Amino acid sequence: MSSVNTAHSVVEPSRTSKRIAATIVIAYAVITMIPLVWIVLTSFKSPPDSISYPPKIVFQPTLEGYCNLFTTRTRQTPEYITSLGAPTSTCDEITRSRNMVIAGPSNYWPRFQNSLVIAFGSTFLAVSLGTLAAYGFSRFKVPLAEDLLFFILSTRMMPPIAVAIPIYLMYRQLGLSDTALGMILLYTAVNVSLAVWLLKGFIDEIPREYEEAAMIDGYTRMQAFFKVVLPQATTGIAATAIFCLIFAWNEYAFAVLLTSGAAQTAPPFIPTIIGEGGQDWPAVAAGTTIFVVPILVFTILLRKQLLRGITFGAVRK
Amino acid sequence: MTAQTPVPSKQKRPFFFRRGPMENIATGLIGLGFLMLFQPFLLIFYTWSLVTLLAGTLMFIIVSKFPE
Amino acid sequence: MTARIRERTGQFFRMRRFKTQVKSVTDTSSTILGEAVARATPAPIASRIRGLSDRSMAWLFITPAIALLLAVNIFPLIWAIYLSFTNFRANRPNAALESVGLSNYSRVLNDPNIWQAMQTTAHFVFWTILLQTLIGFSLAYLIDRKFRGHAFWTTIILVPMMLSPAVVGNFWRFLYQPQIGLFNHIVSFLTGIPPSSFEMLGSVRLSPWAIIIVDTWMWTPYVMLICLAGLRSIPDYIYEAAEVDRASLWRQFWSITLPMALPFIMLAVLFRGIENFKMFDMVTLLTGGGPGSTTEVASITLKREAFESWRTGRASAFAIILFVAVFGLANIYVKALNKVKQR
Repeated sequence: MSSVNTAHSVVEPSRTSKRIAATIVIAYAVITMIPLVWIVLTSFKSPPDSISYPPKIVFQPTLEGYCNLFTTRTRQTPEYITSLGAPTSTCDEITRSRNMVIAGPSNYWPRFQNSLVIAFGSTFLAVSLGTLAAYGFSRFKVPLAEDLLFFILSTRMMPPIAVAIPIYLMYRQLGLSDTALGMILLYTAVNVSLAVWLLKGFIDEIPREYEEAAMIDGYTRMQAFFKVVLPQATTGIAATAIFCLIFAWNEYAFAVLLTSGAAQTAPPFIPTIIGEGGQDWPAVAAGTTIFVVPILVFTILLRKQLLRGITFGAVRK
Repeated sequence: MTAQTPVPSKQKRPFFFRRGPMENIATGLIGLGFLMLFQPFLLIFYTWSLVTLLAGTLMFIIVSKFPE
Repeated sequence: MTARIRERTGQFFRMRRFKTQVKSVTDTSSTILGEAVARATPAPIASRIRGLSDRSMAWLFITPAIALLLAVNIFPLIWAIYLSFTNFRANRPNAALESVGLSNYSRVLNDPNIWQAMQTTAHFVFWTILLQTLIGFSLAYLIDRKFRGHAFWTTIILVPMMLSPAVVGNFWRFLYQPQIGLFNHIVSFLTGIPPSSFEMLGSVRLSPWAIIIVDTWMWTPYVMLICLAGLRSIPDYIYEAAEVDRASLWRQFWSITLPMALPFIMLAVLFRGIENFKMFDMVTLLTGGGPGSTTEVASITLKREAFESWRTGRASAFAIILFVAVFGLANIYVKALNKVKQR
């Protein structure tokens, strides 16, 4: 139990320990990124390159994956293809080199649009309802507030498949199955809990005196809320919105059970991308890359609020 | 969290009406319910896991209303 | 020596307590002040401040959110409870609805296949939590050394947990291919086993580990982040006191670092426990419950009962059982959440 090197401050770790820590952490970070880098690399491979044995790290990059992602193709005879005249686009050229012609657009873009509409729609609703409720919980004495807050949080903890059975029946009755509106309402309900918990924390931090001063100046409670509290809470609202957006964007269980065509989002669609003879991995990788990049950007933007978001606002540092 | 400021009147409420210990018992019941649900040894334990979980959860909700 | 550390720790908590007390005192004083101001101001302004009574005002703000939750979450839940006592089948909605009492529950709770699914879930939950906590806490401990660039590398490590488990899990199927997959080749490079000699997803022995690996890859950052917050919440002076007492690093770790980070670790473990107990998306896409039913976790069994066998009544009973389990854990989770919040 001899601590010889007490010369340095306890709080400041020694240089060697820092170096060891850095090496291990960086090694872990690099390993953890391998699958993601591989997704991006695969998206630029040609189908034969993607399934080569052993896997290729150096290869001729091509946009074939992206072309296949956005188009459907049919096989044609070489004679027919030569009779077509000059190709009109890069994708056209790549497709023809495989003895195929582009038959039309694939479903990826409509699915991606669905994802956009549903994710943004539900986020907007969840944050609006959440801000109101969070303000109510933060500023008024609500009877049974603790229980209501727990009730709100527990709705998020429900197993999605357990909720999906009655929702499926209910939506079938109401004509909401496979509609964007149905999905927006569902995701809003799931996201409202996160929004309330997070925003309550943010609003608690705004001093009451601001609104009280405004109300003494003649504002009504509502005016004070919109003109004083909301501007103060902008950062919190933005952070909450991104968290809600990420959830709705990534959600799979509800989407696969409750949508099949018109309102299907991208996550249930991407695994179904099939080429000739099995899964078209470069196209799947391309779809995954396009789908994941916005979230990467948001993660970097959010890094300061991340902790708060994933613990329902409980942990701040 | 364990450090308690001295309370003048100790043990005013009987054990069964204080929140702390009863909440721990309820937590234990929920934990036991999970063990019963997950164990691979006896089907009968699995069968009665739901009742245990339900009892633990209800108890937790009720005792969380008790004062400290 | 430990007694002294304990005393300092106690002091720390008492300080915290004192601070929160002070805060609550100032809070109440400001509201008292507010009321005093309201009383002192002329009647019309005062009534404008009050406007509607505070209680009805509060409900005005809260009702929309609660109403939505009631309609989209609670009403369906009550419906599911009702269905769980009937023989309803969603693919035959016009068949006569009969009440069957508790028989759905007794069937689910005596069904060896569902029991098996529970054990599969238990295996998955146990190992993912164990691995994530060990790796996550170690990483947090190392990052807390605050080496140069630690903020950047932390952000890099956090990326996997923000991605869609379904979309990224689907891609892991490619990484796990025996001939062409990167995973097998890396394992073969490290151990010398030929890459095509084992199948992560096709073999009964390895497939439960395949899903554990992906989940650990994805969610270790979550545990790490919360542990890091726990470690950073320990004030320096406790370590300084320990150093004065010449407590070894080993001793400091066991009597200061670990106990004080424990509430945070509990929080992470509970949340991951709840999430993995109901795991569906990643496993469905990776193995679909196969081969056979070796990776069929509870949610997949439930999905098959409900949307493939269409035994809606029985599936509802099963859903309620899962719900009760999650609800029980959620209670403990909120308790842990409040404990952490006080720090």
